[in-house]
Amino acid sequence: MSNKTKNDASELIAGKIAKLPQAGELSAIDAWWGLVAVVFLGIILLVSLYPDPYARILSFVQDGVIVTILVTISTFLLTMVLGLICGLGRVSKNKFVYGLTSVYVEVIRGIPLLVQLLVWYFAFPAIVVRIGAALNFRPFQQYLANPIMMAIIGISICYAAYMAEIVRAGIESLPVGQMEAARSLGMTKAQAMRTVILPQAYRTIMPTIGNEFISLLKDSSLVSVVAVADLTRRGREFMSTTFMPIETWLMIALLYLLMTLISARIAKIVENKTKLEK
Amino acid sequence: MKTANEPIIQIRNVYKYFKNDIQALRGVSLDIFPGEVVMIIGPSGSGKSTLLRSINRLEKIDDGDIIVDGLSVTHHEDINALRLEVGMVFQQFNLFPHLSVLENVVLAQRIVRKRSAEEAETKALALLDKVGIYEKASAYPLQLSGGQQQRVAIARALAMDPKIMLFDEPTSALDPEMIQEVLEVMVQMAKEGMTMVVVSHEMGFARSAADRCVLMDSGRIVEEAPRDELFTNPKEERTKQFLSKIL
Ligand SMILES: Nc1ncnc2c1ncn2[C@@H]1O[C@H](COP(=O)(O)OP(=O)(O)O)[C@@H](O)[C@H]1O
Ligand SMILES: [Mg+2]
Repeated sequence: MSNKTKNDASELIAGKIAKLPQAGELSAIDAWWGLVAVVFLGIILLVSLYPDPYARILSFVQDGVIVTILVTISTFLLTMVLGLICGLGRVSKNKFVYGLTSVYVEVIRGIPLLVQLLVWYFAFPAIVVRIGAALNFRPFQQYLANPIMMAIIGISICYAAYMAEIVRAGIESLPVGQMEAARSLGMTKAQAMRTVILPQAYRTIMPTIGNEFISLLKDSSLVSVVAVADLTRRGREFMSTTFMPIETWLMIALLYLLMTLISARIAKIVENKTKLEK
Repeated sequence: MKTANEPIIQIRNVYKYFKNDIQALRGVSLDIFPGEVVMIIGPSGSGKSTLLRSINRLEKIDDGDIIVDGLSVTHHEDINALRLEVGMVFQQFNLFPHLSVLENVVLAQRIVRKRSAEEAETKALALLDKVGIYEKASAYPLQLSGGQQQRVAIARALAMDPKIMLFDEPTSALDPEMIQEVLEVMVQMAKEGMTMVVVSHEMGFARSAADRCVLMDSGRIVEEAPRDELFTNPKEERTKQFLSKIL
């Protein structure tokens, strides 16, 4: 028995080694990192060869880069949670849950993200203030929207509607036999979802989630219209004080490109790690 | 004689309709006794799978009742307890492809039977040894042949300590050279006294393991016979007709 167990352990290790990327895959990864390096070098060259204005632009917008990354990552996390919940609602047998999540998905997907952001930033606080006035409730009357908060909520609620459909498609793409096998082993529906369905659905939708992250990163530039000092807004501020549109937007575009290229590489690595063993 | 006991599965006048007005089961009654091996044969679409799936409530029946070891499929509260008594093996294996062979057999033991990791793994390895897949414990399902996958699926079901095993065409998706290795495992189980309901047209299995064969057609049971007599000495015209097509 113990001998057999040992064999087992060494097979497990062999399995892990087999999981490392093959030669072909590795060089493909390198080629794409090469593109990242080129863009990065481009930025470095511009900054060091022409410190005026490129170094000035970079130092002016650096806090905008931080805000953009912050908004993107926190929105992404919220989107994943909300999208998962609504995706489960979209495959629910419960008519009320299904109906509610379906209406949410359809309504949200029918309104442009920019308009949704304007609603959250301008209309929503106005409604709160009115309700406060009607009820004579002070905290509501003095309500002031926090721009970053509203931006994160607005994008998350919008992106979660799309994420819900991605999650639903991922779940529905699995053979029904998976759920049936789990149920016939005595698992509850929730246990089957958690241990059998979602781990597989997650692997199927991983590439799509990566793409969503990149779209999110780019769409985060919309928050610049609701007073969030992200990369785009900082770019506009720099341009309006210096009147150097070409240099400013070249730099901003390169910075976005660098971030999206890096995100795409990371997404690819995660995707390869989670692929099913064949 | 086995049939002297109480039946462990009582199927009583069961009806099942699907939404598109298809009558999949039309008044099926059948008693199955502990330790008995019952084979169900019949043309495609005759309701064999539906009957099998009704026993562990993968399908809800519309009329009649099925009582499994005292638990009724029509009582919702009983359903997970009932499913624990009934193991199921599918035509398409339905192994969990994201888990290793060992993890496939361990998973439900851990979360449903609440066994410790050690206990579940010991049990899983013993069962994998029994079905001849011990060496592949750390492989993934898609790395195995169909026959190997089906044997893992059997081990996975057995790990829950069911009293009854249901097989829905367990060898139909297999290449001919792999059928035997799966049948051997099933014959062994039958010898050990497992109650089995097997939808299959494998004559060899009927000969070596079946206590009774049942022919279904259009949602009804047409004929029942002990051992492999249904194959060798059919009485009903419908049975002869069907056998002439498959043999
Ligand atoms: N989920 C379903 N929805 C609608 N009709 C079904 C479904 N499952 C089975 N049927 C129908 O019920 C009948 C019996 O099917 P089934 O039990 O699968 O037969 P068998 O296993 O004997 O081939 C067939 O006419 C089939 O088309
Ligand atoms: Mg069938």
